[in-house]
Amino acid sequence: MDRRRFLLAMAALGLAAPAAQAKTAQGLFIHESPKPVPALDIRDADGQAAGLDALKGRAVLLNLWASWCMPCVAELPALDRLKPAAAAKGVAVVALSLDRGGKIAVVNTFARLSVKALDIRTDEARSAAEKLNATALPVSLLLDNQGREVARYVGAADWEGPKAAQLLDALGAGKPLTPDMAPPLAKLTAAP
Amino acid sequence: MRKSFSMPRLLACLLILIALAGPSRAATEDADRAVVGRFLLTDMNGRAVTDEMYGGKIRIVVFGYTYCPDICPTVLNTLSVALEHLGADRAKVVTLFVTVDPERDSPAHLKEYLASFPEIIGLTGSAEQIAAAARNFKVRYEKQPVEGNDPMAYSVDHSSSIYIMDRVGNFLARMPHASKPDRLAERVKSYLAPRKAED
Repeated sequence: MDRRRFLLAMAALGLAAPAAQAKTAQGLFIHESPKPVPALDIRDADGQAAGLDALKGRAVLLNLWASWCMPCVAELPALDRLKPAAAAKGVAVVALSLDRGGKIAVVNTFARLSVKALDIRTDEARSAAEKLNATALPVSLLLDNQGREVARYVGAADWEGPKAAQLLDALGAGKPLTPDMAPPLAKLTAAP
Repeated sequence: MRKSFSMPRLLACLLILIALAGPSRAATEDADRAVVGRFLLTDMNGRAVTDEMYGGKIRIVVFGYTYCPDICPTVLNTLSVALEHLGADRAKVVTLFVTVDPERDSPAHLKEYLASFPEIIGLTGSAEQIAAAARNFKVRYEKQPVEGNDPMAYSVDHSSSIYIMDRVGNFLARMPHASKPDRLAERVKSYLAPRKAED
């Protein structure tokens, strides 16, 4: 009975608590221990399965973006340039679009930005944000070579600076990530 | 039995803690007022709309703004996925995004932004109309001081719950903005059954 009253009171408190939006913290968040990544239905430009399984054995920078997210779009050119450099470090860069309706928004955005290296990857089931607990975009998940999330970067990072190079070196080499490797937030210019 | 003795004390401690927290005090005062779903706003085509125009439909309502220079919340994504979960029941629901930033979120801008979410209706209005709607929903928002030198690069802190209102605009539920789409859809579905709509 008391337990029930307690739970009811807690529920009431929950309702009365302010719903003010907590400022989402940005930057690098290194997990205490690697987290498994739920299976995602990722598709390529032809609608074929292009999940993370194909990248097993390699570290991955999995960036979540959407065409309606201005800072995401502004970050894409840097990720596009980063892709070959990261590959040399053993890190695959995957930019996963959360846009509804398949690849149309991706094709248009990539064309507008003259994206060269990034592949079209879409979230077919539209469940990636939920499964990966991404409440804000852009967010980049850093996965080790066993496909486990070891850290995530919330916001647009300066992916081409020395810190990012250090971070990706460590990720590619399977070494522990440390807070001093955190790249600064990117200074974004208006999306083209 | 010993457990039941400690429960009121635990509750009292919690209440004191919550009363001491600054923002919660305002919320407690706010709690005296009921959430009311009344509004007079402007839709994306520049037409005046009131809540009564959505009569007969369950309403899912969020407040926010489209300008996100750093990071963008995924709440609209959550809403559109929840609507997919509703399937055919989607026709019994209207989903409204009310801006708390009428200065930048003009009808035309909302229309362009929400093209990515065709099932979501964007609403704006005069500063007074937005303030009145927010007051009715007990939503708080506050324009923040500009950090750089661009006067238009301000942010707006705001409450970010997802409101579910019944077919005549009365409050049914408030859910966190980070709710899972299936949970939101389930909740909405529970209100679509006529018997439960009056709960």
